[in-house]
Amino acid sequence: MPPVLELKGITKRFPGVLANDSIDLTLEEGQVVGLLGENGAGKSTLMNILYGLYNQDEGEIFVRGERAHIEEPNDAIALGIGMVHQHFMLVPVLTVTENVMLGMESTRRFGFLNRQVAARRIRDISDRYGLGVDPEAVIEDLPLGIQQRVEIIKLLYRSADILILDEPTAVLTPQEVSGLFEIIRSLVAQGKSVIFISHKLREVLEISNNIVVLRRGRVVGSTTPEESNERDLAAMMVGRDVILSVPKAAREPEQPVLRVENLYVRGDQDRMAVDGVTFEVWGGEIVGVAGVQGNGQTELVEVLTGLRKSDAGRVTVDGVDVTNAPPRKITEAGTAHIPEDRQRDGLVLAYPIMQNLILNTYYQPPIAKGIRIQEEPMRERAERLVNEYDVRTPSIFTPVGNLSGGNQQKVIVARELSNPVKLTIAAQPTRGLDVGSIEYIHTELVRKRDEGAAVFVVSAELDEVLSLADRILVMFEGRIMGIVPAKTATKEALGLMMAGIKSEGEATNKPDTRREA
Amino acid sequence: MNKEAHETDARASTEVPSDHDDAASDRNTGTEPTPRALTVHEPKPGCRSRLRTLLVPLLAIVTALIIGALVIVFTDTSVYAAFEEGFLQGIVQALVVIIRAYSAFYVGAFGDPGQILGALLSGDTTRIIRAVYPLTETLRTATPYIFAGLAVAVGFQGGLFNIGAEGQYFIAGLTTVFVGYALTGLPALIHLPLALLAGIVGGALWAAIPGYLKGKTGAHEVINTIMLNYIAFRFAEYMLDVGGPMARGDGRPVSPEIQPSAYLPRLFPGQIQVRLNAGFLLALLVAWGVWWLLFKTTIGYEIRTVGHNPRAAKYAGINVARNYVITMAISGGLAGLAASTDILGVLRFMPNAFHSGYGFDAIALALLGKSHPLGVVLASLLFGALRAGARNMQGIARVPIDITSILQGLIIVFIAAPEIIRLIYRVRQLPKGEEIDLTHGWG
Amino acid sequence: MRKHISMTLVMVLLFSLVLSACDLLPQPETDAFRVGMVTDVGGIDDRSFNATAWRGIEMAEEELNVEGDFLESTAQPDYAPNLTHYINQDYDLIVTVGFLLADDTRDFAEANPDFNFAIVDFAYDPPVENIRGLVFATDEAAFLAGYAAAAATQTGIVATFGGINIPPVSIFMVGFEHGVNYYNEQNGANVQVLGWDTAANTGVFVGNFDSTDDGRRVADEFLSEGADIIMPVAGPVGLGSAEAVQQAGNAWIIGVDTDWTVSAPEYDAIILTSVLKNMDIAVFDTIQMAAEPGFTTFGGETYLGTLENDGVGIADVAPGTITADVEAELDQIRQAIIDGEIDTGWAAYIGGLN
Repeated sequence: MPPVLELKGITKRFPGVLANDSIDLTLEEGQVVGLLGENGAGKSTLMNILYGLYNQDEGEIFVRGERAHIEEPNDAIALGIGMVHQHFMLVPVLTVTENVMLGMESTRRFGFLNRQVAARRIRDISDRYGLGVDPEAVIEDLPLGIQQRVEIIKLLYRSADILILDEPTAVLTPQEVSGLFEIIRSLVAQGKSVIFISHKLREVLEISNNIVVLRRGRVVGSTTPEESNERDLAAMMVGRDVILSVPKAAREPEQPVLRVENLYVRGDQDRMAVDGVTFEVWGGEIVGVAGVQGNGQTELVEVLTGLRKSDAGRVTVDGVDVTNAPPRKITEAGTAHIPEDRQRDGLVLAYPIMQNLILNTYYQPPIAKGIRIQEEPMRERAERLVNEYDVRTPSIFTPVGNLSGGNQQKVIVARELSNPVKLTIAAQPTRGLDVGSIEYIHTELVRKRDEGAAVFVVSAELDEVLSLADRILVMFEGRIMGIVPAKTATKEALGLMMAGIKSEGEATNKPDTRREA
Repeated sequence: MNKEAHETDARASTEVPSDHDDAASDRNTGTEPTPRALTVHEPKPGCRSRLRTLLVPLLAIVTALIIGALVIVFTDTSVYAAFEEGFLQGIVQALVVIIRAYSAFYVGAFGDPGQILGALLSGDTTRIIRAVYPLTETLRTATPYIFAGLAVAVGFQGGLFNIGAEGQYFIAGLTTVFVGYALTGLPALIHLPLALLAGIVGGALWAAIPGYLKGKTGAHEVINTIMLNYIAFRFAEYMLDVGGPMARGDGRPVSPEIQPSAYLPRLFPGQIQVRLNAGFLLALLVAWGVWWLLFKTTIGYEIRTVGHNPRAAKYAGINVARNYVITMAISGGLAGLAASTDILGVLRFMPNAFHSGYGFDAIALALLGKSHPLGVVLASLLFGALRAGARNMQGIARVPIDITSILQGLIIVFIAAPEIIRLIYRVRQLPKGEEIDLTHGWG
Repeated sequence: MRKHISMTLVMVLLFSLVLSACDLLPQPETDAFRVGMVTDVGGIDDRSFNATAWRGIEMAEEELNVEGDFLESTAQPDYAPNLTHYINQDYDLIVTVGFLLADDTRDFAEANPDFNFAIVDFAYDPPVENIRGLVFATDEAAFLAGYAAAAATQTGIVATFGGINIPPVSIFMVGFEHGVNYYNEQNGANVQVLGWDTAANTGVFVGNFDSTDDGRRVADEFLSEGADIIMPVAGPVGLGSAEAVQQAGNAWIIGVDTDWTVSAPEYDAIILTSVLKNMDIAVFDTIQMAAEPGFTTFGGETYLGTLENDGVGIADVAPGTITADVEAELDQIRQAIIDGEIDTGWAAYIGGLN
């Protein structure tokens, strides 16, 4: 029996970039192929070609042994190929049934009767694959994990049997991820075939039958979970050995830079999101904030960077009182800010890289001269930073929205950390990034610390906080449950604090080296 | 381009020699340019893609003219009559009707080439003026369009939808005409700039209100500008009504005429039909100024950043609320100039009960010009030509003046839905990466 | 794609060739007296103002050796190019419609003393040598309509509204109100007028001359307040009111400018009468005068349409709505107005404004 899907020599060029370079890929019926690669490696391009959103410049696609011509998504759907995109394509105010029927309603006429039929089919599908979706539920009421299942139902409803899942775990909690994996297993057990796209090594190893690794538009390796491991895959992806933990030399903290005293901040729901917090971050140390999302970390960072007003308390940066100061004053006091949501807060996606790189300096010399923005210094600066910070882009005139997440983050890092700063505040600095970029950003943060800046990192990834920070501050319901040296911290102890159980050791408000001294 | 891409990629793919040591050497990547960095010194979108950007609008105009021709034919009774005589006669008559209409259109918008040539050869000033008169009307008609289009375009750039250009036009008309007629005895050198300034200030202040409301309270500027339009209309009505504070007092709801010292100088002052005036030059100058402001200054950078992403603007330390006020004030000032040049250059008084319609045309112009000053100027010239041409088409070929609205509408539809044009002419979409609006990228 | 571009180029080239050729198309030569009319922004199809003036030219075309032509204006700045067109085409008489054209008409008349002009609804002070101003004592006719309406109303409430509060509009409303008041005085009745108050110079105005929706809305309001006769003085806006009245039933519309039973026959059944402002007669009269051999200039004269010279009047009142007695009274009042025995209130009103 021929493979259910075969790609041969797929090539796709974009201006300045060869996105796919004669890629071969084979998917057997009832199997999962893991497609692994860094952001920008060409995974999404390849899948968009398969789904008909792009057309390949060269190469052929075979479906069940027959040569297929896929010009547009309808062709792909007709061939039984379905795709769940990273960003869901659901209408929030409609029900599951209505969303599933969208685009298919024209084939049948009598809305009322039909909806019942559709709902019954959806329930059947849901039961058969263990999806647990209520056809009558309204999309906006559903958590992201369930919305993703609705997307899967949409494909199954249209009788797709080749399912492409593009970065399906990026938006999911760990529990939801294991739920998704059960569904995938159930799907392949009943004859469906799945292409699972991810840059998360562990997930690919767990779910795939075969793994294909892409780098810079080429297939650099084909393997199976049995023959491989995380370290090998990471090396294949990045093209060299990757340091999975952050190396950093011991360093003596110098003096307090960020001082937060008795800070109270009201959140959006009018409750105290930050509830009386006092701490310091010293020059030459990294303080990491651990905590389950939604325990006041976001609000804390927003107040520290001037994006939100506090209700009480005092914040100073290097002795300058910046309590409730506008963002610019805080920046000028020597603060760099890598925001939590890089696309929403940190970048203007439509602007070219060059203009994004001056977001915090556009009004100062040498960029500005009077009210004029000078082209030459702006361009020089952009060329220099793109080189220094290894932003992969065709040119400095490329809109930032065209870059991969990792490169977007590098643009922010380049902008924020290229200036002499006393304090760096980084919120979720590596969320959604691939291994290479994570490594790079960690290195940069450590470099700032080694240069003597105070670094304040908020991350939802406990591993990241543990490996990066010198001290770890645990937040629970807006309060600090404890501040512990990273050297002595254990995951278990931190986990307890994150759950609101106070550790017996008292909070260390100063760097540990200092206390020992 | 593709070849270049290959090379770029080859260079990009050159790998860093594997580095098995620790991070110490790896950290060097930050300071030392490595082969990995692939900054291509490729300029901004090239000339060819610029041309292609123009292709769709051009084809849209051509298509609109073709459909317009059909409309003209189908509404012409002589064509039906000719078809009753025979098919061939019908076709001939249809062609005659179209040619007559569009040649009248062309002559009305740009002048009769033969006449212009003849006039130029004869060297007779009056003949030359008469020959180029249609062109002067096109430019004259385009003048307020440029200002109003720029007003809406600046708003778009700053993330604001200024539907209130019409109201700002009215308020600016009042302030401008007041300074124009009430101040007497001033030299033109002072009076004219003062009257222009009055229009700018009037429009700017009126527009700043919704800007302030949006910045302070988040009230949506679309609703507020519409509401302020009504207030402006009624206020103008009150001021100009018979017996009103600014009425002329001859039983008509019009303002007094402005002093000659406030006139915008006309190209041929001796010829009253030629109303092309310095306002057009001012419009070009202001368009350049707006471009410079938007794209070359910190003020423009702030406006555009707020327009693209207000959250990022706030993050960057830009005062978003203040920026809304500034953007609206600039926008309103530009709308005000539309009124000032109309009154100081063309009408020389302000009538009540007149709906300029600029406010809505301006939205179309800004869309057509992609909110870029140069685009707005080109779109305005197009609209000016359409209007002037249609007037002549009405006079010579008896085609109803409403054809302008139809043509304008069609052009906008085709430009707003370029897929139609691409489909008709099989123009390929610009490859991804050259277009401004790009989707997820290559990941 | 390159092919398409060259195709387009060829088309453009051909087009411009044809263009130069068509200059050779013969311009119709004629010995007729040529009259050009420049409309107000309402357009030729306004079923009122512009349309009525155009009727006068059509009448002249039928009866005299006259060729008529019109140009529609869509905005204030259109007037001048339209006037320029007729001057360039060497027309014998140029008629402009509406006081908004007054300044442009004067400027062009003064710059072109060899041309003759007439303007509907405006008189110059001081007069301009080569312009004939055509104005109308519409108050006289509206007075009669007011009297008839007061006699015909079942509810004791009649109404009127305008486009914008300007003299050519308010003149109808002032006359109408005084006609109603005169009926009340003469018959001891108490018929009320909604929508206009001469003493206070306030009333209901929709603010435009084109929105039939506004006409419908205002009419619905009046009907709900008990009015059963409405006189809309706002051009096509009134057609919306007629629509509303027709739907509501048991109510009447008074047309203005022209006889609406003729110009808007779909509302025939609900038209009580129309206040006729016979601009067509005035325009015809002007053309006849100017087309006379040996005519040189109007000498700055003004034409005033009155009940006496049939420049204004009212159409037949719908049968069965008023008694024969009232019909007779209307005739008496008409004569009394002509004789200057009854005051329509207009002179006092307009005198108080300026």
